[in-house]
Amino acid sequence: MMGGYGDVKLLKDDGSRLDGRKVDEMRPVSIQAGVLPAADGSAMVTHGLNVAVAAVYGPMEAHPRKIQRQDRAVIDVRYNMAPFSTSDRIRPGFNRRSREISKVTAESLESVVLVERYPRSKIRVEIEILAAEAGTRCAGITAASVALADAGIPMRDMIVGVASGKIEDTVVLDLDKAEDNYGQADLPVGILPNTGEIAFLQMDGDLSPEEYELAMEYNFKAANEIHEIMVEALQRRYDGGEA
Amino acid sequence: MVELVPALLRQELNRLAEEGTRIDGREQWEARDVSLETDCLYNAEGSAKVVMGGTIVYAGVKFELRTPWPDRPTQGSLMCGAELRPVAGRKYEPGPPSPESIELGRVVDRGIRESGCIDMESLCIVPGEKVWGVMIDIHVLSDQGNIFDACGLAAIAALRTAVVPAERFDVGEDHTLQVNGTPIMASFTRVGGRFVLDANEHEELGGDERIHITLGDEGHLHSLQKGLKGVFTPAEFAEIFDVAQKRCVELRKMVAKTEGN
Amino acid sequence: MSQGQAGAEQRLVTPGMTVGSSAGKRAGSGIIAKENDFIATQLGWLRERNNTVSVDPINAAYMPRSGDLVVAVVAEVRNNLWFMDINGSFQGLLPMSLAPWKVEFGAARQHMDVGNVVLARVQEVDECHNVVLTMKGVGLRRLNQGAVEPVPVQHIDRLRGENNAHLQRLRDVCDARIMVGENGRVWIDASLDGIALARKTIRRLVAEGHMTTFDSILSDIESNKKGDA
Repeated sequence: MMGGYGDVKLLKDDGSRLDGRKVDEMRPVSIQAGVLPAADGSAMVTHGLNVAVAAVYGPMEAHPRKIQRQDRAVIDVRYNMAPFSTSDRIRPGFNRRSREISKVTAESLESVVLVERYPRSKIRVEIEILAAEAGTRCAGITAASVALADAGIPMRDMIVGVASGKIEDTVVLDLDKAEDNYGQADLPVGILPNTGEIAFLQMDGDLSPEEYELAMEYNFKAANEIHEIMVEALQRRYDGGEA
Repeated sequence: MVELVPALLRQELNRLAEEGTRIDGREQWEARDVSLETDCLYNAEGSAKVVMGGTIVYAGVKFELRTPWPDRPTQGSLMCGAELRPVAGRKYEPGPPSPESIELGRVVDRGIRESGCIDMESLCIVPGEKVWGVMIDIHVLSDQGNIFDACGLAAIAALRTAVVPAERFDVGEDHTLQVNGTPIMASFTRVGGRFVLDANEHEELGGDERIHITLGDEGHLHSLQKGLKGVFTPAEFAEIFDVAQKRCVELRKMVAKTEGN
Repeated sequence: MSQGQAGAEQRLVTPGMTVGSSAGKRAGSGIIAKENDFIATQLGWLRERNNTVSVDPINAAYMPRSGDLVVAVVAEVRNNLWFMDINGSFQGLLPMSLAPWKVEFGAARQHMDVGNVVLARVQEVDECHNVVLTMKGVGLRRLNQGAVEPVPVQHIDRLRGENNAHLQRLRDVCDARIMVGENGRVWIDASLDGIALARKTIRRLVAEGHMTTFDSILSDIESNKKGDA
């Protein structure tokens, strides 16, 4: 009865989730690098049923002038959900949600890209969500990181987008759509897999300090798994499959 | 952003045209490799991905229940829009829909609408009260030339594989959308003084006007559009019209084959 | 190792990857030191030479340096200067005084207009990334014929080869004049067949460069050409 929306049951009697996953199991993830010929760097991330594509252009001169920084590059992120990406069609154009996600995603990417190498420049990162099933911002961050690496942009680490949350008073890794809709908390983060730092953090819902700790533990475990897939994707593109 | 056209590119395209060849070695009426994939997007009721050379576009179909227009109480509606977002290329900038993306969406829309492949009456659920609105959204992810043909192909393929989500809206059982025909677009660009089929990004950069022809199953014209600065002669049109007929038959076969799978 | 690298022996690294201990070694490009380790900052092939560890990037943007020979395209003309697209983040500026002709104030356009392609040299790059170009110097000129092919900057050393040996073979087999701009643009002047062959060869270098040596690609093209003759 603690399921947020009353009697929607999200955990089976054996403790597994509706789609059969264990509490600390993430949905399948696959990544391809260099999928868009027009871009300087690109990637496609399939995370569960989410599909996120990222394209990188630049570095290029920052326009308009007022966004220029004399000491570093700015990262200009646009996170956008395609009209057909959700159950109910989304009217094209920017909205408050995508604007906020774009802003915090840009700031987290600015924390890993060596932006001071490119004064007065901008690096454009375009994140397009083609299919959404909870967790698109995380899939977008992962895609953006691989696309930046693919474009040859120097970074001190990549960022992996992952989320954990709470359903029926139980902490679980990587919420799917039903769990996100009827769950009690969602904790999406962007983790630097090599340094163990956190560059992106959001949360909503209700978590006890202990639940937060466990959710973060799950997130770090998943980040390492996804990072391996990111590295494989980049190596597969350039190394003919042999790492 | 207006792209810079190197003088040497135009000069080279002229030279190639005189020799009857193209910058990527193709013949005048030869198209690049095309691949078509349908039912590739979860959440879209119909979807397609088209790759033409380095051009990549997706189309997705969504349905909504709406009240019919008072003067057409038994007719549903169809809308097709294209987004040319900055993801598609360096030259595309953020902002409200550009004239280019509006033109693209409208040209694709006209070809499908005017072919009559969607019977608007078939979209009626309760006359005067409830009809289906069908929305095709086209999303260009990589522009390496001839996005019009790629968008037209993706749109009709997504439409032809769409399933009407009647159960979700509580108005009956899910069923495939009835589509009576496969309108196909063929586009031509003047490059080095003569028209070519399926121009790539270099040919578009160093080329001139373009002509888009949408043909129905019987070879009838359903939509025409001339874009960009330039003029052409009736004789030139007659020539590309013949090529368009062949090209549309080929692409229509490809759509049919995809549906068969 | 910048010439003819064989991919199989090399290690592909990704940003953030720890590539080894920094003890007694220097960090080259694409590498930062953190505590006692070296960390890769770019996607590319790890290289160690003369005690310096660096990454040969797989993709890289052109960063102009003073002295670079560049293939530039006129983007804007003012009364006394030209702005040129040099395939970098910022346009280069060619002042009237560094043009190869004596230019009257206001007559810049009579010498070079938007879209013209030129061979120029980077005179100066200041700390704010402003780039000044010059066309005073041997061979620097407006390019009135031929074609321009893009080549990612990280492939340019291999395209040239030791003492331009590869480049010369490419010129011979295509019967072409070829100038390599440091800014990732190659100018090719030949018959249409020659241009097409040069393009094809350069694209193979870019596509297969880390798996095959350019030497073997050239040999392949040379023997095909003999076969045709």
